[in-house]
Amino acid sequence: MAHDEYDPTPSNDELEAHLQTRNMVVNLGPSHPAMHGTVRMKVELDGETIVKADTEIGFLHRGFQKSCENVTWTQCIPYTDRLNYVSALMNNFGFLSAVEKLIGLEIPERAKFIRVIGAELHRIADHLTATGALGLELGAFAAFLYGIEARELIQDRVTELTGARLTTNYGRVGGLNRDLPPGWGDKVLRTLTKVEELCGEVSALLTHNRIFTDRCRGTGVITATDALDFGFTGPCLRACGVNLDLRKQKPYWAYDQLKFEVAMGKNGDNYDRYLIRVKEIAESISLIRQALDKMPEGPVIVDDRRIALPPKDEVYGTIEGVMAHFKLVMEGIQVPAGEVYDATEAANGELGWYLRSDGSGRPYKVHVRAPGFHILSGVGKMIEGRMLADLIPTFDTINMIGGEVEQ
Amino acid sequence: MKMKKWIEVSLAIGFIIGALYGLMAAAYGLSGLLEGLLKDKFGVSGGAGFANLLVLMLGCVMVIATALTLAERKWSAMMQDRIGPNRATIDIGPLKGRALGGVPHIVTDVLKLLTKEDFQPATASKFLFNLGPILAFAPVFALFAIVPVGPTLEVAGQKVGLYVANPDFGLLYMLGIASLAVYGTSLAGWASNNKFALLGGVRASSQMISYEVALGLSLVGMMIAFGTVQLAGPTGMSEMQGHYLWKATVGGLDVGIPAWGFLLQPVGFILFFAAAFAETKRAPFDVPEGESEIIGYFVEYSGMKFGLFMIAEFVEVVVLSGVLTAIFFGGWTLPFGNEALASVGFFQDHPWVLGALFATIFWVKVILLCYLQLAIRWTFPRFRYDQIQTLGWKILLPMGLVNLFVTGALILWDPTLRSLAIAGGLEIALIAAVTLVPRGGAKDEHAEDHGHGGHGAHGATDAAAPALAAHH
Repeated sequence: MAHDEYDPTPSNDELEAHLQTRNMVVNLGPSHPAMHGTVRMKVELDGETIVKADTEIGFLHRGFQKSCENVTWTQCIPYTDRLNYVSALMNNFGFLSAVEKLIGLEIPERAKFIRVIGAELHRIADHLTATGALGLELGAFAAFLYGIEARELIQDRVTELTGARLTTNYGRVGGLNRDLPPGWGDKVLRTLTKVEELCGEVSALLTHNRIFTDRCRGTGVITATDALDFGFTGPCLRACGVNLDLRKQKPYWAYDQLKFEVAMGKNGDNYDRYLIRVKEIAESISLIRQALDKMPEGPVIVDDRRIALPPKDEVYGTIEGVMAHFKLVMEGIQVPAGEVYDATEAANGELGWYLRSDGSGRPYKVHVRAPGFHILSGVGKMIEGRMLADLIPTFDTINMIGGEVEQ
Repeated sequence: MKMKKWIEVSLAIGFIIGALYGLMAAAYGLSGLLEGLLKDKFGVSGGAGFANLLVLMLGCVMVIATALTLAERKWSAMMQDRIGPNRATIDIGPLKGRALGGVPHIVTDVLKLLTKEDFQPATASKFLFNLGPILAFAPVFALFAIVPVGPTLEVAGQKVGLYVANPDFGLLYMLGIASLAVYGTSLAGWASNNKFALLGGVRASSQMISYEVALGLSLVGMMIAFGTVQLAGPTGMSEMQGHYLWKATVGGLDVGIPAWGFLLQPVGFILFFAAAFAETKRAPFDVPEGESEIIGYFVEYSGMKFGLFMIAEFVEVVVLSGVLTAIFFGGWTLPFGNEALASVGFFQDHPWVLGALFATIFWVKVILLCYLQLAIRWTFPRFRYDQIQTLGWKILLPMGLVNLFVTGALILWDPTLRSLAIAGGLEIALIAAVTLVPRGGAKDEHAEDHGHGGHGAHGATDAAAPALAAHH
């Protein structure tokens, strides 16, 4: 008030004793249907409006980094499965790329293409899960089930390739531990046709649905500047109109030989993040088709006994084979001392690895830059002042995965 | 294999319709007998109403609502490319190992709810906590009392109609009782002493209170069209809809355009459907439950107390379908051939045979409308709390007022309701056009006109509720 002198005639409003109200604090999580990945949101509510939202993580911490220090480089790969468990192949390959960069190793051409195919398959799976879960938590259960049906088809192909749905443990330093099964490529192509069909169903149920667009447009907004400040990467950053895709900016594996477009948004809201994922699914499908078409024949792992395990008949038949096998299994790959940072474009953004080797067979330090960690830190900013119900699509479209955020 | 499936499905449908027909015939018989008995012994009437209470409400409504718990799971499974419940079996003789279409799941569900621990939070307000489920269930159930299921006939020397009561204030009873249901949910939310439940209770009460306005207003058009607020009886809305606006006779069969409510009042129908859907608190209007946000006003309830909330929802679906049928879909009448049927000699000698047939038609309509409601429930995402309020106050209410004025003017101008029906036909055509015309260049619509505004033309999607959500 501009005038703070004594007013002898106060208005009725000032004389009344107003009802004292307090903000209500509710705990969403760690066990709450919307908080997948056991995150806890401490939300302060004024009616239905969020005054303050505190994100608390740590309920899923498993000591990934410390565990890696105690095992050989190869034995780290199963641990990376458990980071982003929706798209384990991308973690496997990302970690391997970093290790290979530290060694200074070039992998065979065929292995590069197979890594692209595997990573893109799991990118589709990841995006399908994210868009499906968005539908599910907004109440459109049908969209979720169509998405999951498509995802399961992909997981079936991944199972044929790696032997497991989630904990793939595929790929080895210097390439891959096994080649594609016979006939797998054709099966993938047929699967992709079916996936496209199911994505069409999901999109038909959601993309132009009035209720869905009303729930997603203009909610969970973040500006490009804020997003960059928080360290957003991947679809969440591209939704703000920042063109950053490591597959284009720093092509790795075989991405420079394939044609694809980077899906972009501009408003940084939930709807843009959803649309980008839908578009990226289509791009990934086209990438896999191109990669299957262009993939050369040849070995899938380097022919170097210091890096790759010898074939089994050599192990059982020759003394050199036995020795190489023994040394690789017992001592691990001798990665030269040094440090490296390498990143790949995972489904949710830049999956970075800071590795340090002291020249022994075990990592001295493995640090993961999980894309979800930085994005999750921005959730409070994205929803403060909005309604409680907006938290749900926002939390879904950032697609934070507990495994990689809390490691 | 395909053929076998068809036969099985046809047999099941035939069985359901046959059972309904038998039940309706029994309803007429029981009404006539009880009415006569009470009149002879005690000199009071009302026996028919009591018999209908037993057969229609406890029999039909409750059984259909119970079956809907299974139907919802089976139908949603069908829509989502799943199998649905098929695990519970009755291991006796030839039934061993057969899923029986999931029917045993009804039994297992009920047993589970009944045998679960009746947990009560220590800090809950005991009396109100127990009162909540009762108040949520009872009013919904009582709504059906005024809905006429079949025509009024002479049975066993007594004039009986298939309705529990036919008060002069007809629809006003419905609106009044419907507004009582809000106490159940808000009390449950408050008495649980749980923050999530409280939020749910507040959401439920605000939503139900706001939508009552639109609910009442959407029916006024029908009230003035037929000049009555009664549903049952020869001058009631239900029977009046059987009359033809335009009529022709083709080879002894009367055809024409009947005065069905949704033809006269398409906008009123959509408004009523949307508002009543919001009153049932089912998706897309399920913010009071909002399972992914606040879990709902019944978060602290377990066992059969929770079961009451759940079954109340299903009863609401059936009752809403019944009310919709009676007000907007011609009640128990057929769209053609009513008079031809009534003039058949056999039916004139045994009126209850025809009456039971008409009553069966009523229930078939009810089941189809139940299916429509479930299809909507399983297709659409949930509104946000403030969007529901916007829809109710800024769209349904003004539309209801405009509809009321237009209807009033047309009826004043032409009391035969024919111009009203023409206007209704135009409205239907307009709604269909807006819905069916594909969005031009919608492929990358996002890039051009993102953000709020500029979406008016895309207002209607493929069902009533979201069509009205075009609130920009």
